[in-house]
Amino acid sequence: MLKDIFVTPFVDMATAPDFLMQVLWEGLVSGILYALIALGFVLIFRSSRIFNFAQGIMVVFAALTLVGLHAMGVPAWICVILTLGVMFVLAVTVERVVLRPLVGQPDIILFMATIGITLFLIGFGEIIFGGENKVMITEELGIPTDSVVFEPFGGLLILEQKDITAVVVAALLVVALLAFLNKTRMGRAIRALGDDHQAALSVGISLQQIWVLVWFIAGIIALVTGIAWGARAGVSFALEVIAYKALPVLMLGGLESITGAIIGGLLIGMLEKLFEIYWGQPLLGGNTETWFAFVLALIVLLFRPQGLFGERIIERV
Amino acid sequence: MRNFRRIATGVALGALLAGGAAAQEISAPNLSYRTGPFAATGIPVMNGQIDYFTMLNERDGGIGGVKINFYECETGYNTEKGVECYEKTKGDAVVTQPWSTGITLQVLPKSNVDEIPILAPGYGFSAMADGSVFKWAFNLPSSYWDAASMILKGIGGEDMSELSGKKIAFLHLDHPFGKEPLPYLEKKAEDIGFELVPIPVGLKEMQNQSAQWLQIRRERPDYVIMWGWGAMNIGALTEAVKTRYPMDQFVGVWWSGHSDDLQVVGADGAGYRSISFNAPVSDAQVMADIQTHVADKGLTESDEEQRSEVFYQRGLVMSAALAEAIAAAQEEFGTGEINAEQLRWGLENIDLTEERIAELGMTGMVAPFSTSCSNHTGHSGGWLLEWDGEQFVKASDHLMADADELAEMEVAAAKEYADANAPWPTQECDG
Repeated sequence: MLKDIFVTPFVDMATAPDFLMQVLWEGLVSGILYALIALGFVLIFRSSRIFNFAQGIMVVFAALTLVGLHAMGVPAWICVILTLGVMFVLAVTVERVVLRPLVGQPDIILFMATIGITLFLIGFGEIIFGGENKVMITEELGIPTDSVVFEPFGGLLILEQKDITAVVVAALLVVALLAFLNKTRMGRAIRALGDDHQAALSVGISLQQIWVLVWFIAGIIALVTGIAWGARAGVSFALEVIAYKALPVLMLGGLESITGAIIGGLLIGMLEKLFEIYWGQPLLGGNTETWFAFVLALIVLLFRPQGLFGERIIERV
Repeated sequence: MRNFRRIATGVALGALLAGGAAAQEISAPNLSYRTGPFAATGIPVMNGQIDYFTMLNERDGGIGGVKINFYECETGYNTEKGVECYEKTKGDAVVTQPWSTGITLQVLPKSNVDEIPILAPGYGFSAMADGSVFKWAFNLPSSYWDAASMILKGIGGEDMSELSGKKIAFLHLDHPFGKEPLPYLEKKAEDIGFELVPIPVGLKEMQNQSAQWLQIRRERPDYVIMWGWGAMNIGALTEAVKTRYPMDQFVGVWWSGHSDDLQVVGADGAGYRSISFNAPVSDAQVMADIQTHVADKGLTESDEEQRSEVFYQRGLVMSAALAEAIAAAQEEFGTGEINAEQLRWGLENIDLTEERIAELGMTGMVAPFSTSCSNHTGHSGGWLLEWDGEQFVKASDHLMADADELAEMEVAAAKEYADANAPWPTQECDG
């Protein structure tokens, strides 16, 4: 038994390095997509202290809008622009109709409101788009769908071009987001609001504007995530489930840290894949990805309750 | 006072008339799932089910002159909501269709008390075939164990001997539905001598099955058998294409043979097969009747493309079986307005012969089968359907499950269930 845990997995990794590389690549792709979803949560939490339960359904809604518009004969890139427009309208509506009337209410009320938004978007989406599977317009968007095959160490490594595209686009999005938050006036305003609501308001930062902005950015992230996941597994309401994979990422990385979301996502994506392949499947019958990330996050929380990159809260009495 | 009497008399008469009007129909609720992660599987089947009864109501005025009120209660494939729907609809229902093995298992004990037959066509607990134990449950025309048996025959020959020494990966949803055929597959692995590698897929991993397909790449199985539902099917098919697994060695259960799922991989999925107890026959007479009496009148939510697909036509077959049971009960008891107990008799006495299938305008869509007190499944058998890159086509002769062997397993599993849920009511069956 000890050999199966401490020796065999590493022997397997060493004897089939091409397979190990494939496992790490798959983990990286999953991880970057987890990180994207987690980023949506973090942005909204930082600026408004709202845990946005609707992030998952926003991914579905954005992807469905995109393919729905294309099905109506609209050219692919126009669909992207129109979908961004829809996500902006959604952001404005959420701020005006849901958040503004609830300013000053306890956090749990705002959290419940996002559950309401989720239920509304599910129902509204099903009325407009129906519940059937849709095919993502991958090729129409110019995303390559072939594979790149390598033969490292005489083995086989298959990289899907759409996965490579997802990784590159996600990385660019993260860089752009970090630049926006750190280098622009609006970005600094979002960070200021995250650091201290009252202080930010006292220097004239508009809460309403910032909320619209972060919900719109979360909408952009949702669209990118929806395209990436949709290209892998079609577009349906089942995509919403993907959002739950971001929860351990947030626990691990910290709810307020953009760096935490990115590193947490990558760590969980790669570690859960490695554990599943080399320990989970041979020793535990597989399907460990369902719980591994949560256990890992709980272990981290034991030592760092604020997560790896979360802010340590010190309250003086 | 006189006014009060008038009002009271009016109300009583109204109630009587309303009661009389309500009695002129048979209530058959369907615990549907048109929403949620499995909606893509549910919508076409449920459209087919409801359209068939709409067609009967429009064309024939119902069954035996009585309209069928076939209505839906939405569960989202959620077990708790399913139980709520059952409780909400059981009042005047002559049957309940729980959809989902999870909901079926929850409703199963309740049906004994409420005395409402459960109809679970092509799903649920395979041991429900034993009518002596499961008096109120029916899973016609074929069970999951039937499906597993037919798949093994389809890939391993009539005696399955070609599977000896082979390795078969069993990719399944980690859910009661996905685990249902495991006892049969494990038994056959031992009897025939093939290696079975169960590979579970969690509900949250349905769309990201890279780990499962890495395992398949490492194990190099001769065949992959899939027990997938909803979004799991697309996740598996896209990964199979990505890992270049030979599609002609990949076979799914009937819920893994949905055209919309295969559209995602298109021509790359050519060669993939799925067992099915129904086959699509778009030029069948029943399809023409659906067109005339339902589609042309704007009474359906389906479109022309959906109506040509396997899942929609499966819904028609399911409702046709229920309609046959209703008709049998009406004839036996000499009444149009049958109750649940009478329908239970009808479900035990379905006799869908080749001739009767032709009369229904369904030639080639389903194989003949009959039910009895001891046989609540019917064991119709089925066909392997193959995706040719654009649609599913018949790819095998008619396959029959290993009935004798399954009967033994069904009796044993039914007894085990009854013992575990004692006191469990049973019935004596002569045949």
